[in-house]
Amino acid sequence: MVAQQIINAVSLGGVYALLALGLAIVFSIVGLINFAHGELMTLSGYALLASLVLGLPFPVAVLVAVTCGALAAVAMERIAFRPMRGASVTSLLLTSFAVSSLLKVVFQNGISARPQAVAMPGWMTGAFSFGDFTIGVGPSISIVVSALALIALEVFLRRSVTGTAMRAAAEDFDVVRLMGIPASRIIATAFLLSGLLAGLAAMLWVAQRASVDPLMGFTPVLKAFIAAVVGGLGSLPGAVAGGFLLGIIEVLLQATLPATIAPYRDAIVLSGVIAVLLLRPQGLIPAVRVQRS
Amino acid sequence: MLSVEALKIRYGEVEAVRRVDLTVDSGEIIALVGANGAGKSSTLGAVAGLVPAASGKVIFDGADITGLTPEAIARKGVALVPEGRRIFASLTVADNLRLGGAVHQPAAEARLREEEMLELFPILRRYHRVKGGNLSGGEQQMLAIARALMGKPRMVLLDEPSLGLAPQLIDTVFDLIAELRRKGLTILLVEQNVALALEIADRAVVLANGEVVLSGTAKELASSDLVRQAYLGA
Repeated sequence: MVAQQIINAVSLGGVYALLALGLAIVFSIVGLINFAHGELMTLSGYALLASLVLGLPFPVAVLVAVTCGALAAVAMERIAFRPMRGASVTSLLLTSFAVSSLLKVVFQNGISARPQAVAMPGWMTGAFSFGDFTIGVGPSISIVVSALALIALEVFLRRSVTGTAMRAAAEDFDVVRLMGIPASRIIATAFLLSGLLAGLAAMLWVAQRASVDPLMGFTPVLKAFIAAVVGGLGSLPGAVAGGFLLGIIEVLLQATLPATIAPYRDAIVLSGVIAVLLLRPQGLIPAVRVQRS
Repeated sequence: MLSVEALKIRYGEVEAVRRVDLTVDSGEIIALVGANGAGKSSTLGAVAGLVPAASGKVIFDGADITGLTPEAIARKGVALVPEGRRIFASLTVADNLRLGGAVHQPAAEARLREEEMLELFPILRRYHRVKGGNLSGGEQQMLAIARALMGKPRMVLLDEPSLGLAPQLIDTVFDLIAELRRKGLTILLVEQNVALALEIADRAVVLANGEVVLSGTAKELASSDLVRQAYLGA
């Protein structure tokens, strides 16, 4: 029972971490909180549904869905955010709200406002048993996928030139451009990575629920936003730490709170967030950023 | 090699540069001097593409580069070492250098270039794996110059290289600038320390309130009454 709860906590935390990381990567480079991040997740969910309906094998369908998330993020930057480059933070924020609302309406009117069932393979809902322990296959896969994604991203950011340039751009974008590295390449890569992470998170989210609906991305991305703020907005290690922390606390409260207090779970979590921000306004692991007039 | 023609720069309502004309010939060191707020850094920023020109032209190697992006200008062989060094504090010295040479040459050549830089700046070899933010001011200045040189520029714009450095280190940095010129680099140097700048430069341009008030050879300027009274304290 305890083992199962720990697995659930880490698994939920992993999903939050992937989403928070996607938000943080884009924020660290362009200073934009992308509120349409949740719609990238929803779009990947629908892409998975469509691929399965078309009869693609499950692994191929997942690949298609994650790719769709990544490409949609790049397209979003190209169409909505690039024309706004250099605009104020408020304008960027409003743009992302507009994109988010637009996509939600497209999903509602173009597909359906009601949840659509996604036929996940039967083995995903199975469980391993070790003696007394029973551990769900779904959450275990979720943990493995999150861990691999985090490691791959870390290697990319440390080893590749583009990754190094992205870390540098988070500190001082102008100087990266002075090195001859094109701004549009860095920004496009940031969105591509955030879309990939949203796509992966969508797969893990859908695997737990076996359905997609137009508002699917809202709650997890709201949580991821909170995680990113608690971790230190724009800080990538902070986003991961915040994501896991939030996931673990949620599951812990879910498992331990008496039934009469359980409805206040989110209120308790958010009070905790306020407390963290009062004590550490820059977040748990603050971002390194050059302040410039 | 570089000519700036009737350059004007505005920040909103404020005219930071009213009119600047200057030319830099191949292999020269030109010093751009003047008081704080005279428009020196803005002029360099406009040449590098960081600051938009309100009017006027910047010509490099016969081509009009006014209005190009900073990355496009960097690829043409103009490197700016910005004021305050602005090295990437959270990246290692190695990564700072790597980014400097990333787009200008194939990876194998960039490694050779890095080796040359480590020969030129032994201190950077010692701190190769240290984060840029942990270096001292002088070491950061060396790193900022080495990072700019990684892309094998033909022209380097140096913005206040002596700022905030101990006198001994200033000498080291200026010896280095002289050494770079001997190697054939063309240098446009912005400097508040006028005496120092005139010592090393071939020619100099004096800016005041966004306009050129005086220009000539470094020797002429060092003995001009205006410069002696206003900047050399004589």
